[in-house]
Amino acid sequence: MTSSAKICTNGATSNGLKKRLHFCSDFDRSIVINTFLRHGWKEVSPEGDWNIYWSNTLNCRNLFMENRHRLQDNQLINHFPNHHELVRKDLLVKNFNRYRKELERNNHPLAEKIQVRDPSGRTVTRYLYLDFIPTTYILPTDYNLFLEEYRKSPQTTWILKPCGKSQGAGIILINKLSQLKKWSRESKKYLQHQLTSKDTYVISRYIDNPLLIGGKKFDLRIYVLVTSYRPLKAYMFRNGFCRFCSMKYDKSLTELDNVYVHLTNVSVQKHGEEYNESHGGKLGIQNLKLYLQGTRGSDVTKRLFEDIQWLIVHSLKAVAPVMLNDRHCFECYGYDIIIDTDLKPWLIEVNASPSMVGTTENDRILKNRLVDNILSVVLPPNGIPDARWNKTPSSDALGDFDVLIDEDLIYKDNIAQLARETGQGPMRK
Amino acid sequence: MADGVSPLVWKEEREISFMSKCHKAMKEKGLDTKLRNTVFHWVRTQNKQSKLDPLTSLTKASVQWEKRIHKSLNSMCSDLETSLAKFRFQSELEELAEKWNELSTYNLDLSKYRPVYAPKDFLEVLITLSGYVPFTKEDEPKWEFAHLPLQVKTLDQLRKIYIEWSNGEPLLGVSPNMPSQVNDFPTLEAERIGLGERVAALGYAPVIQEYLKRGSPQCLRAKLWAQVLGAEVSAQQISYFNQLKRSVLEVDLMIDKLIFKDVQLTASNDDQYFVFEDLLYQVMLCFSRDCEVMQQLRGSTGTPLTVAIKGRQTSADSVTVFPPSGIIPFHGFTMYATPFCYLYDDPVQLYFMFRAFYLRYWHRLHYISTHPQGIVSLCLLYERLLESNEPLLWIHFRNINVNPGHLPPEQLLLLWDSILGYDCLEILPLLSLAILSFRKENIFQVNTLQNVDAVLADLSTISVIPLLQLALMKP
Repeated sequence: MTSSAKICTNGATSNGLKKRLHFCSDFDRSIVINTFLRHGWKEVSPEGDWNIYWSNTLNCRNLFMENRHRLQDNQLINHFPNHHELVRKDLLVKNFNRYRKELERNNHPLAEKIQVRDPSGRTVTRYLYLDFIPTTYILPTDYNLFLEEYRKSPQTTWILKPCGKSQGAGIILINKLSQLKKWSRESKKYLQHQLTSKDTYVISRYIDNPLLIGGKKFDLRIYVLVTSYRPLKAYMFRNGFCRFCSMKYDKSLTELDNVYVHLTNVSVQKHGEEYNESHGGKLGIQNLKLYLQGTRGSDVTKRLFEDIQWLIVHSLKAVAPVMLNDRHCFECYGYDIIIDTDLKPWLIEVNASPSMVGTTENDRILKNRLVDNILSVVLPPNGIPDARWNKTPSSDALGDFDVLIDEDLIYKDNIAQLARETGQGPMRK
Repeated sequence: MADGVSPLVWKEEREISFMSKCHKAMKEKGLDTKLRNTVFHWVRTQNKQSKLDPLTSLTKASVQWEKRIHKSLNSMCSDLETSLAKFRFQSELEELAEKWNELSTYNLDLSKYRPVYAPKDFLEVLITLSGYVPFTKEDEPKWEFAHLPLQVKTLDQLRKIYIEWSNGEPLLGVSPNMPSQVNDFPTLEAERIGLGERVAALGYAPVIQEYLKRGSPQCLRAKLWAQVLGAEVSAQQISYFNQLKRSVLEVDLMIDKLIFKDVQLTASNDDQYFVFEDLLYQVMLCFSRDCEVMQQLRGSTGTPLTVAIKGRQTSADSVTVFPPSGIIPFHGFTMYATPFCYLYDDPVQLYFMFRAFYLRYWHRLHYISTHPQGIVSLCLLYERLLESNEPLLWIHFRNINVNPGHLPPEQLLLLWDSILGYDCLEILPLLSLAILSFRKENIFQVNTLQNVDAVLADLSTISVIPLLQLALMKP
């Protein structure tokens, strides 16, 4: 609440001008609009003189393609123009593989590898620190590579997802090659003519030993705000949540095509008979922490949450070199993470437009707070959008965000450290 | 030399050496701690109260209340044309057994079932205990319990019991991140974990009890709580739990529906507990079948009904105490079990912790007696505390016990640490007072009972331990 007051009054009084801030939103009836209105901002159309544009990804891309020159210093927009490098499943895998290979080429200690035994008893080589995306192949491009891997461990279940779709659409689980062949025959019939990006699929190893609570599978939704890619500045929202399947987890083949057992997407679960309106299958991440500390102990819980931060930071570092780092952009991502029974987190995917609609009362409270805090992090202390600002928010402005990484601060720390060591710094008086 | 040693001395020496060897062996095997804990738990279970309650008016009220509940159960049965107890058909038994781990999918039509009573109904009975309600004007205080000849502690006496808190010692529930006063640890939390690990390894119940006074870290709580209440699970407990399960499967008690309804009304719709729904059905159903509960509470609960089990007339065992535990659940009963879900994922361990906690503490809140830890004494204590510490605040406020469902689980666990640590329930009326004091300003601003309720209904932002310590520390 204090941050909202600050944004409103400062925005209106600085420079002695009675300037009112304007926003534009591609979403009607959402928490975003209400938050801006509560802060005293006025809504305008995309053609108007907005200060912040809360756009959908398509409009954002068009805007940058058509009239990039038009963006002023006092204008911000909520997507990076080529966010698909992180968000599209095939591109994320490509970027991440390239990131690991580069580190390896430079003999970076992060790229260390170890030999482990997989469930089928086969010895495989894995990255020690950078193994948090399940083995993934892009179809149809990597079909032969996939076949090779499939033959090595035929017991593995695979999950096939269309690259351009979200919210669980078009996903199937596969544990026999014949299923994939059947699928490819059938999909070819319909898709042959239109070869767009939507025809690209990824096939990933299915995490078939997810951590269960009360016998049910869940995934984590964590919000990550990026205000700059070079230097990388990223913040993690403290109040994520777990999304539970409404039915008991069952690995058996008969339940393999039951989406209510396997897919945690709220948009899928909502249609299930067991869906509950009052909690929407969502458990706060702080309660997950409490449960894990109580039943598994504090050390493993602490390591899990550190691993999650690690995973997010390195997924961002992997795409940072290819991102168009426009200073007018910020972006709030919804990270989907699955934890397995060994308390190891796996990155499933990243969403660039996480739902800002509250499904329950607590969900509304959480998302209001999220949008509120996003605004206070991306706005400079005087409350007026400024693309030239150094994007270093005060600790008060962070709200429920924690700094994941700020390469500016790391750089400054290094300089100070160097200065101390060479005896030139202010520390040696 | 050998001749000089008399056989008697030799025998004595041998005895001494046998004793010390025995002692040593016991220590090595951890038997001495086991023995000491057994004595500790046995002493605690001995009921010191005489059989007859000295206050006949309370005894009478207690009997009447029980009669009312039994009547209401019977009339619910005849309205719904069902019986209190009947053997399940084979098909029903099999379905229940198959869905035992997923009872949320066991379809029952519960639309006609209502909880037998809510805490509020019980409170009304308590308030009219003597049959005398003093007449006062609307805005004047009504002292409900003051005329009862019971001894309760003053705030100063409570300060002496909760001495660590009133002395302002650092409590885990107040500031876990403050710097530790012990050298080797960076924070209070690290210090408590370090000490707690040693205490847990020692496993001696009185020491654990002492430790819990200043709060347990969440990572050690499951172990420490089980140790302090002697509720550890071994093969014997597992087979006992399975026996209870079998009894649930075989006999259909009318209160099973009430239990299902209660879990649905409390945990299933709660965003902190919905995940644990299936565990809770098991625990609550088994509890109703546990005749050890009734045995251990003999004299501090009423006299349950004995009913015939319909469906198998010839058999000799077709009569049951209803329910075997002697405890008829009220609306919200499940809330006594929900916080344990954050500590135990095994239903058997969860069950025995819940049971131990109920047997030691919670049953006192539902039986009218003169026991100093009983609900009547706690109500009186609350009233006296309010009278002497917040006289202006005494408006006709009837929520005496904080509904535990409204505190977030982490806060509840910290509160329950202190119940175990100080082994008494007086912290509850004190908490009620502390919350009232804390929200005083807001309460003064509203003037209807409904609005007072609204001010006190949302406890999600309350930090209980700092509030309590503040109330206990001298101004």
